[in-house]
Amino acid sequence: MNQPQDTTPAISVRSLVKTFGRGAEMITALNNVSVDIRQNEFFTLLGPSGCGKTTLLRLIAGFELPDQGEVLLHGKEIAHLPPHKRPVNTVFQNYALFPHLSVSRNIAFGLEMLGWDKAKVTATVERMLELVKLEPLANRMPDQLSGGQQQRVALARALAPEPRVLLLDEPLAALDLKLRKDMQLELKRLQDETGITFVFVTHDQEEALTMSDRIAVMSNGLIQQVGTPHDIYYAPETRFVADFIGDINIIRGEVNSTSDGSMQVTLAGDLEMTLAGTASVGQSVAVAIRPERSHFAVVGAPETLSARVTDNVFFGAGTNIHLMLNNGQGFIVRIQGQESGCKPGDTVAIAIERDAAKVLDN
Amino acid sequence: MAKRFDLRRQTGFSEIAWFCLFALYAPILMLVVFSFNDNRSVVKWTEFSLRWYYEAFDNDGIRAATAISLKLAFVSAFFGTIFATMAALATTRTKPYKGMYLAYAVINQPLMIPEIVTAIASLSLFALIKQLTGVTGIGYLMLAHTVFTIPFAYMPIRARLEDMTLTLEQAAADLYAPPTKVFWKVTFPLLIPGIVAGAMLAFVVSLDDVIITLMVAGPGETTLPIFILGAIRRGITPEINAVSTILLVASIVFVAIFFLVQKKRTK
Repeated sequence: MNQPQDTTPAISVRSLVKTFGRGAEMITALNNVSVDIRQNEFFTLLGPSGCGKTTLLRLIAGFELPDQGEVLLHGKEIAHLPPHKRPVNTVFQNYALFPHLSVSRNIAFGLEMLGWDKAKVTATVERMLELVKLEPLANRMPDQLSGGQQQRVALARALAPEPRVLLLDEPLAALDLKLRKDMQLELKRLQDETGITFVFVTHDQEEALTMSDRIAVMSNGLIQQVGTPHDIYYAPETRFVADFIGDINIIRGEVNSTSDGSMQVTLAGDLEMTLAGTASVGQSVAVAIRPERSHFAVVGAPETLSARVTDNVFFGAGTNIHLMLNNGQGFIVRIQGQESGCKPGDTVAIAIERDAAKVLDN
Repeated sequence: MAKRFDLRRQTGFSEIAWFCLFALYAPILMLVVFSFNDNRSVVKWTEFSLRWYYEAFDNDGIRAATAISLKLAFVSAFFGTIFATMAALATTRTKPYKGMYLAYAVINQPLMIPEIVTAIASLSLFALIKQLTGVTGIGYLMLAHTVFTIPFAYMPIRARLEDMTLTLEQAAADLYAPPTKVFWKVTFPLLIPGIVAGAMLAFVVSLDDVIITLMVAGPGETTLPIFILGAIRRGITPEINAVSTILLVASIVFVAIFFLVQKKRTK
């Protein structure tokens, strides 16, 4: 297994700019976006609607042309090729199955267009039907399939021509929750089995965290942060990322002193901690802490924040205890189960896990 | 309990509805009924008979007029639908371009222009061409019919194209289909119901046209409606009722096909 690794990115996007409309109505969908997507990676573009994630996907697919910048596929510039000349395939949000063709003819479409010989097409279609477990439905028409089945056909159709990269545009958005959970695992399995690079677009942060090798969080036509689900969740770099992914406490801190990449920060005028980051002494910074990485401690214990309980909110898998800190900011502590042992008005102490507090860029 | 608003619950709704239906269909019903009357009169019923239908079928004038009408309708519906399809593609399957709405308006304008104006305009133009070239014949009539059937065929085809999401064509392009293949493998097969509906409509308007035909038709180019028009100058006979009924049934059949394909597409 000591083959030299080809480390050329599957997709490399360089300084991509895309605007729509003109004059006062001009919208900048992508504002100088650069990102490398590695080979065989499950890469997710995550962001709220209008953040530019779908535009980026459509530029890679070739449905839109960039105003500026480059799109490289395995090192080759493709930004100005029409879609049918790009060895990438797309799974569309609403599947876009050809309603006049049967399941197997849908899957065969790309192969026939590529001019594969009949025997190879038939064999590949069968293999694909098997891969997505739809063998018995080969001759059905798309309108005779359930949403989940249509989804599988769309996947099989896009995977059949063995694209270098598979693009998925919110493919699970139309499915109900249970089916969506199943399909998330299914997609992950397909990616493992085929070894194809997946670029997945979603606005659902949980979906992104579940499935991805790496995530790019986007907003306003910019990539805010690229990282593993763990990085994105526990080490958000910007306030936007921290806010967008899961529940998080963002509290104010005062910088007391700094030394070589770390600094002493007083949180909420109450607790002094050593945090990584650079800022000038006296500056006010935003510090993010996940609710599940803070716990209750004995009142008056050292290195704790004191707070007053304002509410208990049970949500099934646990309970969020809503608190108010000494400086008037809100704070949430998440506990397992339902018994918090405290009621509104109680005074409590909060201990924060080591490395759980993260200074945000802005 | 609040009831959902339903027009049918309004006082007098059914009376008004029945009156409208009566006003619309009573004359037609009368025409049809008296086409089966065994009598020369079109107002006094005596006995059921198919005699006027036999006479109509035996009438060389009617037979010739029917042949011309059908030929004209086929040719103009065929070419009109082709042009309408091209126009519909050009106004829906292109990036929005300057003048697209103008093109759309220009294509539909013949529906708004009084037909008599179009008829006289065609007459003058064709007269000029005939004078310059000396060419005569039914070609002029076919040309005139083709032109005025275009906007009728255009409407359902455009509607169908607007209903069809562009994503399907993008999906085909994504699956390595070059533009011509995208059209023939995806756009065209999905557009067929629209094209059939457009052709039916074009066929019926050509078949039923009077004014333009009256102006443009040369000697011997008598279509069925023109024949009927000429015949009633000599007095209405049940034979005319019979021919009119046949024309009516033909129109209903084509319009029915139009509605059937239209209905299927919304399924």
